[in-house]
Amino acid sequence: MKSFLTKRAYASLISLLFLVVAVFFLSRLTGDPTNLYLPVDASLEARENFRALHGLNDPLIVQFGRYLADLAMLDFGESIRRSRPALDVVLEAFEWTLILAAITMTVVTISAIVVGSLAAFRVGGLFDRTATFFSLIGASAPDFWIAIVAIVLFSVNLGWLPTSGTGTVWHWIMPIGVLFVRPFGLILQVVRGSMITALGSAYVKTARAKGVASRPIIFVHALRNAMLPVITVIGDQAAAILNGAVVVETIFGFPGVGKLMIDSILQRDFAVVLAAIMVTALAIFVMNLLIDLAYSVLDPRIRY
Amino acid sequence: MPGTKNTLHDTEETCMNIRSYLYGSAIALAVAIPAFAQDSDVTIVLNEDLETVEPCMTSQSNIGRVIQQNISETLVELNTKDGSLMPRLAESWEAVDEDTWRFALRQGVSFSDGSAFDAADVVKSYERAVSDQIVCEIGAKYFGGMTLDMEVVDDHTLEITSDPAQPILPLLMSTLTIVPSETPFEFMQQPVGTGPYEMTERNVGQNITLERRDDYWGEVPAVTKATYLFRSDDAVRAAMVATGEADIVPLIGQEQATNPATDFAYPNSETTYLRVDHGVAPLDDIRVRKAMNMAVDREAFLGTLLPQDAEAATHIVPPSTLGWNSDLSPWPYDPEQARALLEEAKADGVPVDAEITMIARIGNFPNVTEVAEALTQMFGDVGLNVDLRMYEVAEWIDLYSKPFAEGRGPSILLAMHDNSRGDPVFSMFFKYACEGLQSGFCSPELDQIMADATAATGDDRAALWKDAFAMIHNDLVADVFLFHMVGFSRVAERLDFTPTIATNSELQLAQINFK
Amino acid sequence: MNPTPPQSAAVKEKSKFAAFWSMLLADKLALAAVIFLLIVITCAFIGPFFLEYDAGRQNLRGRNAPPFDLSRGWQFFLGGDQLGRPLLARIIVAAHNTMMVAGGSVVAAMAVGGTLGLIAGNSRGRAAQIIPRLADVIMSFPSLLLAVIVLYMLEPSVGNIIIVLAITRIPIYLRTTCAEILEVRERMFVQAAKVMGASEMRIIFRHMLPVIFPTLLTIATLDFAFVMLAESALSFLGIGIQPPEITWGLMVSQGRPYLTTAWWLSFWPGLAIVLTTLSLNLLSNWMRTALDPKQRWRLEIGDRKNG
Repeated sequence: MKSFLTKRAYASLISLLFLVVAVFFLSRLTGDPTNLYLPVDASLEARENFRALHGLNDPLIVQFGRYLADLAMLDFGESIRRSRPALDVVLEAFEWTLILAAITMTVVTISAIVVGSLAAFRVGGLFDRTATFFSLIGASAPDFWIAIVAIVLFSVNLGWLPTSGTGTVWHWIMPIGVLFVRPFGLILQVVRGSMITALGSAYVKTARAKGVASRPIIFVHALRNAMLPVITVIGDQAAAILNGAVVVETIFGFPGVGKLMIDSILQRDFAVVLAAIMVTALAIFVMNLLIDLAYSVLDPRIRY
Repeated sequence: MPGTKNTLHDTEETCMNIRSYLYGSAIALAVAIPAFAQDSDVTIVLNEDLETVEPCMTSQSNIGRVIQQNISETLVELNTKDGSLMPRLAESWEAVDEDTWRFALRQGVSFSDGSAFDAADVVKSYERAVSDQIVCEIGAKYFGGMTLDMEVVDDHTLEITSDPAQPILPLLMSTLTIVPSETPFEFMQQPVGTGPYEMTERNVGQNITLERRDDYWGEVPAVTKATYLFRSDDAVRAAMVATGEADIVPLIGQEQATNPATDFAYPNSETTYLRVDHGVAPLDDIRVRKAMNMAVDREAFLGTLLPQDAEAATHIVPPSTLGWNSDLSPWPYDPEQARALLEEAKADGVPVDAEITMIARIGNFPNVTEVAEALTQMFGDVGLNVDLRMYEVAEWIDLYSKPFAEGRGPSILLAMHDNSRGDPVFSMFFKYACEGLQSGFCSPELDQIMADATAATGDDRAALWKDAFAMIHNDLVADVFLFHMVGFSRVAERLDFTPTIATNSELQLAQINFK
Repeated sequence: MNPTPPQSAAVKEKSKFAAFWSMLLADKLALAAVIFLLIVITCAFIGPFFLEYDAGRQNLRGRNAPPFDLSRGWQFFLGGDQLGRPLLARIIVAAHNTMMVAGGSVVAAMAVGGTLGLIAGNSRGRAAQIIPRLADVIMSFPSLLLAVIVLYMLEPSVGNIIIVLAITRIPIYLRTTCAEILEVRERMFVQAAKVMGASEMRIIFRHMLPVIFPTLLTIATLDFAFVMLAESALSFLGIGIQPPEITWGLMVSQGRPYLTTAWWLSFWPGLAIVLTTLSLNLLSNWMRTALDPKQRWRLEIGDRKNG
């Protein structure tokens, strides 16, 4: 186990490095930040001055070397747009995203497993059909649609919730609600599908035959086996939120990492882009590690 | 890096904070929900968080809306209604000779950090703006291509000599925000100024709070505290005034501006136009450019894709600008005539069938995509072959600015230009001089008129600019001017505040009153 | 005796089809889904030929025409858009690009991700270490940056958007396949096949793929919706497909400012996305049941009831 973790840590470090190299060079392909930073009518000397100040005149490989050297000292560079350390900017935003992702995924996972399993118990029954139908409609509706309709309904017309922003618990309800819809539909479907297979499989039948007849026990047996693909999808959806729930963050004015990332990409604020990617990548690596550990817990035949 | 340790520390705190955060929120909820702000507080919603709170960046709209004249003041203030200049930190100014101006500075003014305002502060503010140790937008935008030599005569008298001579130097000084002379050559995280407000809180990504100063030199404004929030979505911003969460939204969408009691249209000093690249056939032919102008049904845009209050344009600058030529009228919509002109050109061997690329920028202004699509069809209807390409901002700027690519095809570029400073000089060289960075042609004759206008003062100056405008619109048919644009604001009914053309670049809290 | 086998095979084939047909008839929802999907596919193939011009023709003075008004022609039955173009005609034409983008991305991602997953799951060597880490890298590479790079370097064409979306969806197939393989390869029948000396390839294609395919299919049908919405979100952020090209996602996002004043602009294309997804899922649920010998009775019983 310990050697597995060490190995995994090294592997992740290499992946991270690979990611940094890819992002550094690929993002540089999208042009020079000078024109974006300075007004359209800035003079040529002002542009030259800007390039010199931020070291943009050096060959790319020199810039990369400098970046790596700084990185080795845990210096992630400074945001060109914000004139502040890039890592500070990213961590401020990531804090929000992390909380949002954690709450949303917990709520989603619990409700999807409960509803999905219940649906699988009576395939084609009323509960199954209703749950499938509505979760799918929810999962396939554009999120900005749901968000704006929710604001019009709950804030403007009913006055129950604040439109946007942060501050109180009430502010979190709509963003989480909107983020909830899609992963819920997806995970519910996978849970349902897996459970149908698992409930029909030999060992559940065996369990039944052996007389472990009570529903809860069958449920637990089947669920345990059905969880493998479910966990993968949960991981995928959590990664999507950790990478930034851009649409939700944009509409609800939520200061998360997704909005920061898209803004920085569009403004060519490379230091922030790189720092944001490293922070989110690290979070995703840790999450994937947890998922792999969960695999082996659920299925003892899987060993690392 | 000093931040390293902090970073790890922060992460730990983050994890610790989740519970205390939620707990704290719950308490806040229980106690604070009905705690409506004081009646003299206002909440303003901007479309983006401020990237920095540095006073030398106030030419960016949102930074200007928070800082300009609220926190940081200028020597001179531009009255956008009539283009006149009003004293602010300078009590008066006069021209000593052709290239030197003398400013008499206000006495008894103090910065929010307690230090007194004097001539040395102005010198330092200018040095910072044009410094090569930091990149200040004000310096790059307004003080390029000139050197100012500032001589401190005494604490409250300053002589500024410019090279080359700047007849509009006082106007230029309306852009320079004044910071204390102790300010280092790095961006300020806590702006210090002489204005009626100071920044008391900033939570990046969430809010900024300004509170009224007790020791301001001027009249005491009615607003005691202003909170700025940031929401990117037009519909959400508009909804926030409707729900009572906010008082002023400087920018809402045209589609949202439906309530005459709260929603105001105001000219935002922006002008949309198609920059025509005269360097490539068939656009080098004036008949083709005339035909393009006649192909555009400008009326059809108003009240549909663009606000009813927008105006068909004849200039690159808005009507409140010096030298505005009221004799010019927009090209009429005349597809018949346009077709005839193209036929004529074709008969002379001009390749009018060549595919012309229309370059537009994603998100440049509301409905930009739809406007570009509509223009494409209008050009197509008179027989031009126009292909629309939407570009991301960085690439669009490259295409907009020189050097243009060799071997490029014919192209027209949809752009929006902002001139809120009242003088054409801030626009004309960039857009129309032979050397101009975004100029699509070269006319030595026009260059001469513009050079003369720049050096002239008073009525001469206005008359020369007037000639230049006429030449561009009628004789050269240089570009396809589209519209002088308007923006929409929403203001809560309890406030007595009317947005103006200035609202695009500043939002003076001192101008807000309560009904 | 010799001529019988082909004949019986044909009969078998036919009866198999008939069995499927009757099972489809048994599930009315699945039947409706099949019919709807056939309509969408037909639109995608022939719509652009007939309606391209109508769908692009603007009329600024007649913009945002309300729906259910036949006086302007059937194409305006669902209303007009912000440039006065008929929404119904546009939705039909846009089906082409939408299906290309969604179908292309999902199939490409499933093929690449599934193959890599198979390799990683079956290999005990270095590939088993490296490939999942590749998934990590892709998962953490922001799709938005990828989209901006494509938009800047190449052009926002249908083909390039497919590449962007396909790349971002690879990890889910890769990880799912890999995880399932890890589990399946320990099962009795696979071990038995191994003991009996079946080749590696035969085990993968004959024994493993059939077991994991239903799961992959479930994910793919769900992903179809996800990709359509991701494409819409890219448009929302201004880095997706650009006009004059049209997709449902782009129509939804362009109609967004009018949600409160002219709901039909984004509602109909949104509904098209929802219905397509719903149909695909109903179909895939039906297929899981119909293909699974242990579950098939549900449909057969249903058939008898209805019959």
